[in-house]
Amino acid sequence: MYYVIEKMAEYRTHMKIIGDILSTTQDDLQDENGASVTYLIRKANISHSRISRILKTLVSQGLLEQVESQGSNKYRISQSGREFLQAYYTFTNFADSFGLSI
Amino acid sequence: MEFLLENILNLIGFLVGLSIGIMSFIGFRNTGSPTLFRLTIAFFSISLGFFVIWVGYMTEDFVIKSGSIAKWVQTLGIAIQTVGYFFIAFSHGIKSFFPKSRYFRSIGVFPLFLISSVQIEHIFRAVSFILLAYAAIETMLSYFENRKKGTISVSVGLSLLALGEFLGWYSFLFPESILYYVSMIIKIGGLIALFIPVSKVPLTKIKFDEG
Repeated sequence: MYYVIEKMAEYRTHMKIIGDILSTTQDDLQDENGASVTYLIRKANISHSRISRILKTLVSQGLLEQVESQGSNKYRISQSGREFLQAYYTFTNFADSFGLSI
Repeated sequence: MEFLLENILNLIGFLVGLSIGIMSFIGFRNTGSPTLFRLTIAFFSISLGFFVIWVGYMTEDFVIKSGSIAKWVQTLGIAIQTVGYFFIAFSHGIKSFFPKSRYFRSIGVFPLFLISSVQIEHIFRAVSFILLAYAAIETMLSYFENRKKGTISVSVGLSLLALGEFLGWYSFLFPESILYYVSMIIKIGGLIALFIPVSKVPLTKIKFDEG
């Protein structure tokens, strides 16, 4: 019973949240400048404080590009981010085969 | 003939384990995932375990020829493989496997003293069997959620490895019988079943991140 409840909660790993953010900035952009923080919060379904930390890390790692547009910051995926996302999809399937999440 | 068969099986085990380990390592290098790191350790350990047994037997038969180190080499190889099986089970959250009650934890220590006269090899085999059975059940439960063919292949692979370890452990009752070789063949079948979904991972555009 405990197992079922735990699985139903669909706990997302840190990696899965990063995957969701990068996926949104690649496939689901609001406009050509990128996605706003508010939009990413809604799509990735996490708190403002947490997404701020993650976005800062992703920008510093070169996976996202930060663009200033109409007085606010917008984010779009970089080439490194695309490569990371492809690796993420590939190895998500790999880990799925072992019944695991990356 | 037996020598040849055993060497071939250990070599296959080494190569299959190494292939899955390398794949996991590439995944870890590209994503930084702790799960893939644990799988890397697991499969490198399994591969190293087979390698130690293979090299040990070859060295014993062609160089040393003392007839006394084979058993120790086998024990060492199986111990290293057990570490690998532990990391596979650990990835599924091994903590849920341990008893939560303080009382059960305290009596859990006693078997370590009670079985001290049993050969270490059989302890490792028994531990490997439990870890593999646990990982196989967890993987099967995951299959019921994601319904991916690769997951059932891994579950079957882990089950075969568990059965192989069990037969290997049981074979000490019937030394010199065919049981040991059957257990080796089943273990290799298990490793190949693990490798099937891994072999389908497209690596054409995946590269090591040198940065």
